[in-house]
Amino acid sequence: MFGLTTLAANKLPLGNMLFIIISFLLLMLILKKVAYGPLTKVLDERADKISADIDGAELARQDAEKLAVQRQSELADTRQQATKVVADAKASAQKQSDSLISTASDRATLINKQAQTDAEKLKEDAISNAKNDVAALSVAIASKLMQKELSLNDQQALIDAYISDLETK
Amino acid sequence: MDDPTAPFEFLGLTFDWGTILSTLLAMAIVVIVSVVLTRRPTVRPGKRQNVIEYLLDFTNGIVDGQLQKKQARQFGLYAFTLFFFVVVSNEMGLLLQLQGTDGVTYIKSPTASPIVTMTLAIMSLMVAHGMGVQKLGFKGYLKNMLLTPYSWMLPLNIIEQLANFLTLSLRLFGNIFAGEMLLTLVANSLAWPGHLNGFVTVLALPIEMVWQGFSLFIGGIQAYVFVILTGVFIAQLSGDE
Repeated sequence: MFGLTTLAANKLPLGNMLFIIISFLLLMLILKKVAYGPLTKVLDERADKISADIDGAELARQDAEKLAVQRQSELADTRQQATKVVADAKASAQKQSDSLISTASDRATLINKQAQTDAEKLKEDAISNAKNDVAALSVAIASKLMQKELSLNDQQALIDAYISDLETK
Repeated sequence: MDDPTAPFEFLGLTFDWGTILSTLLAMAIVVIVSVVLTRRPTVRPGKRQNVIEYLLDFTNGIVDGQLQKKQARQFGLYAFTLFFFVVVSNEMGLLLQLQGTDGVTYIKSPTASPIVTMTLAIMSLMVAHGMGVQKLGFKGYLKNMLLTPYSWMLPLNIIEQLANFLTLSLRLFGNIFAGEMLLTLVANSLAWPGHLNGFVTVLALPIEMVWQGFSLFIGGIQAYVFVILTGVFIAQLSGDE
């Protein structure tokens, strides 16, 4: 061991010093190659990655918020639209049913009226027919009476003939 | 306290096996641990990656607290390597000390040697001065270092720079050296008959364990302080204070 006294008294072991400096520089080179360089690179990469991740997370959060707002408004829109569609459907159904009902009632009225007019016509026809018949009958009776008024027998015969005439008719 | 050493000459320079082996072992541990912990790093960290990321975060935290962003980025690798190496160096001798038959301690805490801590301090101060020059320009750097806040403080400032070097290196050395010395003393007094032969692993006994625990704590604190002070010097020399 080199004590301080030896140092002062004897020659300085310059070789040792040179050896230490050179080997230390070599050690530095080797460490740079095997440890410091790769580690620093990895540390820098990690720092970059972390900051990129933080930025990315911030962006993603903003996007998500934007999307959420958009979805919210879309949802509200959709709900409004759905309500409108339902209301429209209801209204149109109502309209359709109203028109159906009104058509049906119109037709019913029409049919009713038709039936009434038909019935009235029938009735009138029947009455006019009856009138005609009665008139014809009266004319027939009168003519018969005028033809055969001489005798009772004739009369009788006339009536019989008339009746039989009626029966055949 | 001048223990025997195993020096050798190479290209006219003096080397010392104990320091070289210990430093190499500490660096090997650092490299192996970081390779094992950093295998296939992913953005989502696994258990092992978490450990080394905690360490890196720790040193980056020290750096970021003191320096502006640009300098902090430059200083990050140095702080990381320095802290890792100094921590491992401080704690290594607590777990393992190998002594040869010739009485030379071949493996111990590298930072228990003043040469290592002074070298580390020189390196840290060179980094600090270099970054000061880079930021302020040479003139501005000199002015900031020597003539601030008043030009008559020049002598004080020069002394301060020298003191910076000494406090930075000797604080680390003193703490670790004293810790290991006490560990060795305790171990020697406990090992009967008090004489160590061959390669001896210092085994933990109760007192030893308590002191080891405390030294572990000290080692971490000193490594932290060393890196913090380096950061402070960089900030000072770059005129940030």
